[in-house]
Amino acid sequence: MTAMEIDTEKNIQRKHSTYQSLDKTFDIQNEIYRGQQYSQIYFARLHTMRTLLYSLVTHWKPSCPCLLMTFISVILEVSGNLEVMVVFRVLDFNGIGCEVYVVDRGHLYMVLVNFISGAFFKFFFSPICNGLGFCTVLGLEEGKECIIVGTLFKHMQLKPCVLDEYSKERSAVPLVKPHNFMHPDDHLVLEDESGRVKLGGTVLSPSTYVTGGVVALHGKETTAGDFLVLDVFEAGLAPQIEPQLKSREDKYVVFISGVSVGSSTSNPLQFQLLVDHITGHLGDEQEQGIAAEIVHVVFAGNSVEIPLGLLNGQNLASKDQSRVSEAVQVLDILLSQIAAGVSVDIMPGSNDPANFALPQQPLNRCLFPGSRTFNTFNSCTNPHCFELDGVRFLGTSGQNIDDLKKYSEARDELEFMERTLKWRHLAPTAPNTLGCYPFTDRDPFLIESCPHVYFVGNQDKYGTRILEGSEGQMVRLISIPKFCNTGLAVVLNLRNLECHTLSFGAQPSTLKTFNDA
Amino acid sequence: MATASSNIKGFYRQKKKESGIRKPTSTKSDKSSLLHAATLGSDFTPPSALVSHGSPDLKDDYDKNEDVLRQFDMNSAYGPCLGMSRLARWERAQRLGLNPPKEIEDLLKGTKVRSECLWDGCI
Repeated sequence: MTAMEIDTEKNIQRKHSTYQSLDKTFDIQNEIYRGQQYSQIYFARLHTMRTLLYSLVTHWKPSCPCLLMTFISVILEVSGNLEVMVVFRVLDFNGIGCEVYVVDRGHLYMVLVNFISGAFFKFFFSPICNGLGFCTVLGLEEGKECIIVGTLFKHMQLKPCVLDEYSKERSAVPLVKPHNFMHPDDHLVLEDESGRVKLGGTVLSPSTYVTGGVVALHGKETTAGDFLVLDVFEAGLAPQIEPQLKSREDKYVVFISGVSVGSSTSNPLQFQLLVDHITGHLGDEQEQGIAAEIVHVVFAGNSVEIPLGLLNGQNLASKDQSRVSEAVQVLDILLSQIAAGVSVDIMPGSNDPANFALPQQPLNRCLFPGSRTFNTFNSCTNPHCFELDGVRFLGTSGQNIDDLKKYSEARDELEFMERTLKWRHLAPTAPNTLGCYPFTDRDPFLIESCPHVYFVGNQDKYGTRILEGSEGQMVRLISIPKFCNTGLAVVLNLRNLECHTLSFGAQPSTLKTFNDA
Repeated sequence: MATASSNIKGFYRQKKKESGIRKPTSTKSDKSSLLHAATLGSDFTPPSALVSHGSPDLKDDYDKNEDVLRQFDMNSAYGPCLGMSRLARWERAQRLGLNPPKEIEDLLKGTKVRSECLWDGCI
């Protein structure tokens, strides 16, 4: 269906793109709460990240390659599917053997090769990296340098605790900054299955890290029982599949978040202007030509705001019932106008009628009786991952970054986003301070493949940057501002991943739309 | 105590004769291999209190299969046991590449054993 209905002789066709949703990992289909515990998700997270970090740690402390590659064929012969990773050093206690490091199903083994006979003795799992041993927290020896991998826990004094209600001293110190719980005395603790150890030293600054991230640390145990950190290693950006960005035409993706239909701060005219612009009902032919290049629209959370005063648990009077559903009905009407012309994704946010814990499940289709008749309408999970013409998008409605803002500090939202990508985890503070479904078999927020575009909605201001990884990955980071406050929507060009904003104003004196690059 | 000596036997119950149906006692090697199977692949040595030495008189209502499964539950290499069924935990360990022993899977799928972990219902 063309987006034009006005009197022109030639119709401008909208461009198409292939869309594929990758939200399967965020779906909670048949999971039933049977008493699952949050410790399970922490175990899944730690194990997956630890295996990954062990295999990556050679990039961190590289050693010189060994000369004994001839013996590798012997090893491969003897046990079929071992992959030889790298050979580290020659043992010289008896002068006739060497250590070879092999990876078998994600585990790193040290294998002793005897030169004379070619036979080998499989050693116990004792990974060694350039002379530094890995060990568990319980296996730390005082004064010996080693590498430990575990989950970080940040002990925060000002973090609200449910036990504060019961504390005898009722003269509580008032929080100076109720939206940020940092304190100079916060310290970090590293934890794995065997135990936990307090981290000391100046390399690791507690203000950068949050509870839930998995890192590798090089250091040694001190006499006081702390672990003195000498160096930190994060997993870094995940491997990225190359998008074919050449030979493309300009195709645009529009991101909006925080529309908040039904709230007192939102201006319905602004939203209507946006809808009209996307559907091509605004502007002259040139403007319509630009609008015809929009191939996808994403609503990144908080599309509706139901008046909170009505949701106090009491029975609703009939006039109040219509007020509750009004906002969603208006949203449905506007969404159907967009869905009639272009494919649209709607993600739930913190204020939307969806579940609270991450991953938020898609907004129920019965809320959108008008829009759901269009096959271009997709109700998606939060976080949302999809591919458009081979370009991979990953984004959330903002809860993960908002939580990071409360427990750590950074220059801007983009730096928080960069950290989540480097830690390879969308929401490291879940389930500690961010509501999360108690998965037992996996952690769905681990980022396995680096996206090309990473967006976060409902932020205070617009920001965008290209992040480059150590292996040539390139990610466009986008921080989408709240539409009800700023009137800004973000437009991304699929051809070169460049971003600009669309600003909609409804002031009588500035009634125009303009693109600013 | 002016009881007649004939009544002493009434006080003290005699030991039961060895008759009737008894569970077949396993050979020692078979039992120890199964026990160690549950702890393969980790440093963890189960404390001797958990290793059942099988004195028939003091046996609770669990047998050696349950014992092996309890060792599997307690093995921290496969993660926490609470809140998951044993088979789900075994499958997760398998999927994460931890190589849990096949005997545990056979026990869980074949014989009639408790499907929930040791602490289920207790915590």
